[in-house]
Amino acid sequence: MADSSSTPDVQQKVLRHTLADRLYHWLMALCVFVLLGTAFLPILGIKFEWVDIHWMTGVVLAALVLVHIVRALFFQDWRSMVIDGADIRDMARGVVPGAETGKPGKYNGLQKLFHLGVAIFVLGIIVSGLLMLLKIDTPFWRRNPYWFGNDTWGYIYAVHGLFAMAMVTMIVIHIYFALRPDEWHLTRSMLRGWITRKEYQEHHDQSRWKI
Amino acid sequence: MDFGVELFRYSKSIYGGQSQMIGASFDLLPWFAAAGVAFILLHAAFKLVAGKAAHKKQEQ
Repeated sequence: MADSSSTPDVQQKVLRHTLADRLYHWLMALCVFVLLGTAFLPILGIKFEWVDIHWMTGVVLAALVLVHIVRALFFQDWRSMVIDGADIRDMARGVVPGAETGKPGKYNGLQKLFHLGVAIFVLGIIVSGLLMLLKIDTPFWRRNPYWFGNDTWGYIYAVHGLFAMAMVTMIVIHIYFALRPDEWHLTRSMLRGWITRKEYQEHHDQSRWKI
Repeated sequence: MDFGVELFRYSKSIYGGQSQMIGASFDLLPWFAAAGVAFILLHAAFKLVAGKAAHKKQEQ
């Protein structure tokens, strides 16, 4: 590694999120906010024509998630997002104040757990939402609400609603961590792509996140 | 304990007057938001305690 005092600044940066990953994150965020707004604002008393905006944004989100899954599985290191034994050990030790914990790889255990939760909720919302498209007329198909019985529709709507409300919890938690001063380097990396080499050395186990 | 909140929405079937579940109750929305706020408060409190414990350990 070059002497840090003489190395140009650009070489001191470690790429954490590529432009494609950042675009995916922020487009997904935009879709999720539009979807939650069109879903819950009318319930909270702000009435407007929400159905078309909602289903079209939902289809865009489904396409984005599909692209993300393909990229993650075939073009990226999906193992970096899998919770392993070291993550479980560190999370268990982490609940004891003052206990020593190891440094994480690219993502820590809580971030992986959060990703898993969001993945479950978003996939549940997308699958139930795509099924709910059967109940509305679109330029591509006519509605056919008889694919399922009333009981099944009830479960589909319940999953869609409960998981959507759970996303409110997840977003509150996500924004909290993004705003915490000790996490600013990660928030910056989702905006500009990089963390500094110093942050990489301070916050990450270099054997678990090889660059 | 009754919080006066239903988990699901129900409707009467037009065929038999039978009650049918039609989705999640949106009365739960404030509870889900409150769960996020509760997590923040718990985490911030924990970080405060953990920070003090780490400081104490360093002093020793």
